[in-house]
Amino acid sequence: MAKYILRRIGFMLLTMLLVSIAIFLISEVAPGDVARHILGQFATPEQVELLRDQMGLDQSVVVRYLDWLVGNDWRLWRLVGKPLRYTRVGQYDSPSWYAVEADGTLKQWRMKKGTGLVEIRISPDGKREEFLFEDWQIAEDGSEIFWGVDTADHVVLWRKGEEAQKVGPASAGRTMTEASGVEYYPLRKGLLRGDPGISLRTNKPVGPTLVRRLRNSFVLAGIAFVIIMPIALLLGILAGLKEGRAVDRTISLFSLITTSVPEFASGVFLILLFAFWLKVLPGAAVFVSDVAPFMQPKLLILPVLTLTLVEVGYVTRMTRASMIEVMNAPYIRTAFLKGLPYWRIVFKHAVRNALMAPITVIMLHVNWLIGGIVVVESVFGYPGLGMYMLDSALFKDINAIEAGAMVMVALAVGTQLVADIIYTFLNPRIRYT
Amino acid sequence: MTVAADLGKSLDTGKRRWRRVWESVSVIFRSRVAVVGLSIVIFWVLVAIFAPVLAPHSPFAQDSAAINKPPSPTHPLGTDHLGRDILSRLIYGSRTILLLAPISVLCSVALGTLLGLIGGYYGGLVDEVVMRILDAIMAFPTILLYLIIISAIGPSAFNVVLAITFVGAPGIARLVRSLTLDIRVRDFVAAAKLRGDSDWRIMFVEILPNARGPLIIDAMLRVGYAIFAIGTLGFLGLGLPPPTPDWGGMINEARKYIWTNPLGVLWPAIAISSLVVGLNLFADGLREETTRYQ
Amino acid sequence: MQQARSAPILKVQDLAIAYETRKGDITAVRNVSFEIRRGETLGIVGESGCGKSTVAFGIVNFLGRNGRITGGRILFQGQDLVGRSEEELRRLRGDRIAMVYQDPMQALNPSLRIGEQLSEVLVVHRGMKRKEAEERCMQMLQRVYMPDPASVMRRYPHQLSGGQQQRVVIAMALLNDPALLIMDEPTTALDVTVEAAVLDLVEELQKDFDTAIMYISHNLGVIARVSDTVGVMYAGELVERAPVVDVFLRPHHPYTQGLMRCVPRLGMDKASSYLYPIKGRVPPPDHLPPGCVFEPRCPYARPACCETRPELRQVADGHWARCLFAEEVAQSVWAPSDEVPARLPAIHAAAADDKPLLVVRDARTYYEVPSRQLMGRKQLVKAVDGVSVEVRRGQTLGIVGESGCGKTTLVKTIVGMEKPTGGEFEFMGVDIAVPVSKRSLEVIRNLQMVFQNPDSTLNPSFSVGQQIAWPLRRFRKVPHNQVRGEVIRLLEMMKLGERYYDRLPRQLSGGEKQRVGIARAIAGLPAMVLCDEPVSALDVSVQAAVLNLLLEIQAELGTTMVFIAHDLSVVRFFCDYIAVMYLGHVVESGPVEAIYAPPYHPYTEALLSAVPFPDPTVEQKSIRLSGSVPSALNPPSGCRFHTRCPRKLGEICERETPPWQDAGNGHRIFCHIPLEELRKVEAVVTVPKKTDN
Repeated sequence: MAKYILRRIGFMLLTMLLVSIAIFLISEVAPGDVARHILGQFATPEQVELLRDQMGLDQSVVVRYLDWLVGNDWRLWRLVGKPLRYTRVGQYDSPSWYAVEADGTLKQWRMKKGTGLVEIRISPDGKREEFLFEDWQIAEDGSEIFWGVDTADHVVLWRKGEEAQKVGPASAGRTMTEASGVEYYPLRKGLLRGDPGISLRTNKPVGPTLVRRLRNSFVLAGIAFVIIMPIALLLGILAGLKEGRAVDRTISLFSLITTSVPEFASGVFLILLFAFWLKVLPGAAVFVSDVAPFMQPKLLILPVLTLTLVEVGYVTRMTRASMIEVMNAPYIRTAFLKGLPYWRIVFKHAVRNALMAPITVIMLHVNWLIGGIVVVESVFGYPGLGMYMLDSALFKDINAIEAGAMVMVALAVGTQLVADIIYTFLNPRIRYT
Repeated sequence: MTVAADLGKSLDTGKRRWRRVWESVSVIFRSRVAVVGLSIVIFWVLVAIFAPVLAPHSPFAQDSAAINKPPSPTHPLGTDHLGRDILSRLIYGSRTILLLAPISVLCSVALGTLLGLIGGYYGGLVDEVVMRILDAIMAFPTILLYLIIISAIGPSAFNVVLAITFVGAPGIARLVRSLTLDIRVRDFVAAAKLRGDSDWRIMFVEILPNARGPLIIDAMLRVGYAIFAIGTLGFLGLGLPPPTPDWGGMINEARKYIWTNPLGVLWPAIAISSLVVGLNLFADGLREETTRYQ
Repeated sequence: MQQARSAPILKVQDLAIAYETRKGDITAVRNVSFEIRRGETLGIVGESGCGKSTVAFGIVNFLGRNGRITGGRILFQGQDLVGRSEEELRRLRGDRIAMVYQDPMQALNPSLRIGEQLSEVLVVHRGMKRKEAEERCMQMLQRVYMPDPASVMRRYPHQLSGGQQQRVVIAMALLNDPALLIMDEPTTALDVTVEAAVLDLVEELQKDFDTAIMYISHNLGVIARVSDTVGVMYAGELVERAPVVDVFLRPHHPYTQGLMRCVPRLGMDKASSYLYPIKGRVPPPDHLPPGCVFEPRCPYARPACCETRPELRQVADGHWARCLFAEEVAQSVWAPSDEVPARLPAIHAAAADDKPLLVVRDARTYYEVPSRQLMGRKQLVKAVDGVSVEVRRGQTLGIVGESGCGKTTLVKTIVGMEKPTGGEFEFMGVDIAVPVSKRSLEVIRNLQMVFQNPDSTLNPSFSVGQQIAWPLRRFRKVPHNQVRGEVIRLLEMMKLGERYYDRLPRQLSGGEKQRVGIARAIAGLPAMVLCDEPVSALDVSVQAAVLNLLLEIQAELGTTMVFIAHDLSVVRFFCDYIAVMYLGHVVESGPVEAIYAPPYHPYTEALLSAVPFPDPTVEQKSIRLSGSVPSALNPPSGCRFHTRCPRKLGEICERETPPWQDAGNGHRIFCHIPLEELRKVEAVVTVPKKTDN
């Protein structure tokens, strides 16, 4: 069994690797220039070129993929000659990259208009000082150069004499004020080390937003899951036991119809019914902040109900099919012929075997649940991960899309692994081989 | 043998063949659920075919005097935020969806069948590679995959078909693969192998025809899913670019005005729900009937 | 005591059972009457679909949602079970009436431990405490000779072998000391040696518990062995009921007679005897003939038979038959109908060419299986390990052995569906140690195969004609416009005729499918046909027809055949040479008569003593093999049979590979025991001189 589980974990890691490549390729290599997209229609070719350089888009796909996945500070620190650290100085500052001296002093460099290159030193006790930089190195061609870290998280090559300020256009929260270097390498810690990068849409780090949104979605999906499972399993078992009878037909028809209606349609029906006509519940688009769902739990009712309607039918149908199969199995016939009471047969002999198959399918269905969440969140304007993904997709915010997608896929694959492990524990045939 | 007798025989054969076809078709009528489903589907297909005759207005004509109006004799289902006739847009919208959904399902069936046959028949490393890639695709929540693909390649009818093909193919490949694994160990496949038949012949002549039953039913369920998906994409603003009449897109545009004109979202929601429900009732009823007879 | 013995435990009177279908009610069983006394075994025999199992489930009224008893009485210990409430029946089931049926693996719940499944019977019916119940279960497991009962109690079904599972199911049935035990094909899924041991066990337990047993089987041999009384069922009716010897030696019903004539008896061979199949097929339950149900297939049918439905009546003391003319049928000398050829042309004449057509030397076929250990290496299954056989032109080689002995793998390797690991394969002078794709069309054409399972041998999507036409076009390049004629000629040769041309496989019966499969195999006029258990999935009456067909083909086309089977009577009848396989080795080979007489290889001896022959007068030595077949993953050293051999000499058998000993006339035995010793062994099976029939 250990072998089986290790094999599953191996497959999961392999799947995640393939998924990360796929996500990266689809979103980064897809037609359309990201830099042009960010800068808008009116940017000059030079400006686009500069942004491409700053974003590292001029490097090869493989390098960019590895940077995105595992970061590049461990590679780029050689250029600077000092270890690099991603850290937060003041309590309210956003974290940034620094070069670290042996004594713990953090350093950044900045080209100051009219003055030249300025070195920013932050000593371990938090004191911040600025000095005019003079330690230029002589390059092979004789020019004076310096590799350093700028204040916008790039490793930059400055050349003395080429200090002209190039100012890029501002767009969507992103300001391009400092662009004085000759070469740029954007510093990243990498997705695997917990840094998905900066959102192109908001110009803020993706990570913290993602966490908040994920929590909100968990609340929504978790409540739905807790409601769906007992109802669906119960209905499925009941329908399976009464195969072909009126109870079964009613349950089957009901579950087929509710699963068939798309989430956005059932959401619309529910809003119209409860919010518009009956006026008993709040409807859509009233979540103003990321924490709103906790302030007003009533707001959760309709989104949860919508999710439940769509998902409950699917699980019911799976359970029903499995129950019917098991009840027709020869060992259930044996149980009957042993003269066991009906409910003992159902609960002891049938249910356990009947739930074994759906459990994998149900867990697989977490995929659908996640998909459903995207739509439901969009219908109700719920500030969850799904909504975040949709907004990012509409904006082509590739950093956010990539990170969000990886999180979602990891969740989906993770639940599958959990399902596999539960299955092995339920199924002695796998457990004892 | 005389020519007449020969002719009679071939007529007889023809008749028998028709009876066989009728026998398999008539299965539908044994299930009330399937008949109801089929009627709904046929209704929408007829609406789509006769759209120009049925629609009272052009789906694009804007009437600035009638914006977000409730139903009236000239606009039986009311108008939307640009003053367009909702009924006409619904009627034309059925064309879009009933064209794109089957096309994308056909494409994914073709792709999925090929992958599934190859993986299942050859097994070993080929199978392993194909399955790992398909697993990776299937690890994505469906809508997420649509989001990524459409946001990367942009919304258009062609891209929607492409995305649905890509997303649907792995499921079909898995189905075909499992059917292939089951069929390829049967003796008639062994007979073909030891006759030295080519792999392609074995895959497409010996194996594929015997997988058609579950495949057809799966494809039919998938048309439902495809409509579901096209609607969802439209709703999320990733579907067909406006002003194409598209049910999901109609809901997306109208939901900003849901408090002033609730019918603007209700009609397309009913339309798409009824079509998907109809298709699924039909496919499910058919599956129940065919499996009962095995 | 005598009084108690004579009162029947079960008395079934005019039982009728119907199933509700879309086309209306279909009566599956009607007018069935019989009784079983204490300590008595009633064997119910009949072909598939004749309603045997329906009767069994009818007794405990467990007929599924759409089945119900429509008439008659079922008196169990004097009380009528028909019309009892579900709760009353439930109390009887598993307590007073127990059932054992086919496929023990399916009968046990895969996710519950054996102990749990056994003890709950006692907990529910006897209200025993769990501890006490488990004690009793372990005693019962010991009683059915289960090694290490305590550990078995903790195991799951899949951790036991098929024979062990069946012992568990039997133990489960006997826990409450039932008055009636219904056994529905309990040994059909088991190998002969395991079957023999289970049958011994049943016999022994019956003596100890004095249970009444209803034993259902399609296998005439098993029925002959276990029964005191036999009931023969046909198309939902009990057509004959009599003591076992009477049924087998003095059958009064034409159907029973037909059955006896179509199974090969011991001592029959193809040169001197003929199997007479029953013509036609069993009528479906919704299209029964108006008169006697057997009338359309009966060789004695008279006009009266079409009109009156005969009653089951006593024709001799304790002998009941459902035939208007039973007395005449029993007396009259039966003559084969005109359809049967008087005698087949001598087959051996074709063997004039003495050069072997197929030579296999030291064939080895190994499979790799992934290891069960975490980092373990791949393991090798040595399915065929050093087999040498030769087949001469026009002759038939039979390969016998139990499942897992490698017989099918050997054949698959010969036809090129498995890659040989080593050894020489020569066919018509050409090296064929290569997969099919590397063989010439000529070799492929000349080496074809007939498969076991009629339901999977044909492609369900194409008509019979299309499936036969393809090899014709492929191998013989028959011009397009002549294909149809040629297919029809082949169909006629298979006694099927033109009307089958457009039929789909699902419209054919098992025997017909098998004939089409044979037609497809011989379409290219191959020199050799390999038959993998071609008749084992067929009913006996159909078996005979297919065997005859194969013999005719061989006579007409001079085809050489390799015939795999586990049924030793069929092999004896059909083959010229036999090779006996055990765990990847051939242990004995030689001309057919030599195999069935001493000297035997100890395994052949055990096999012969285990096979149930369809003749209650046959005397068989009882040699039972202990344990089960070892895994081919890790075969025993020295002689592979040494772990189970009743004649094991000692250490030499474990250490050294046995020598091939030549007993003359091509008869070879792979054993350490000297030939002189083996010659002294007396014959396992003795057939008493026939007095009548």
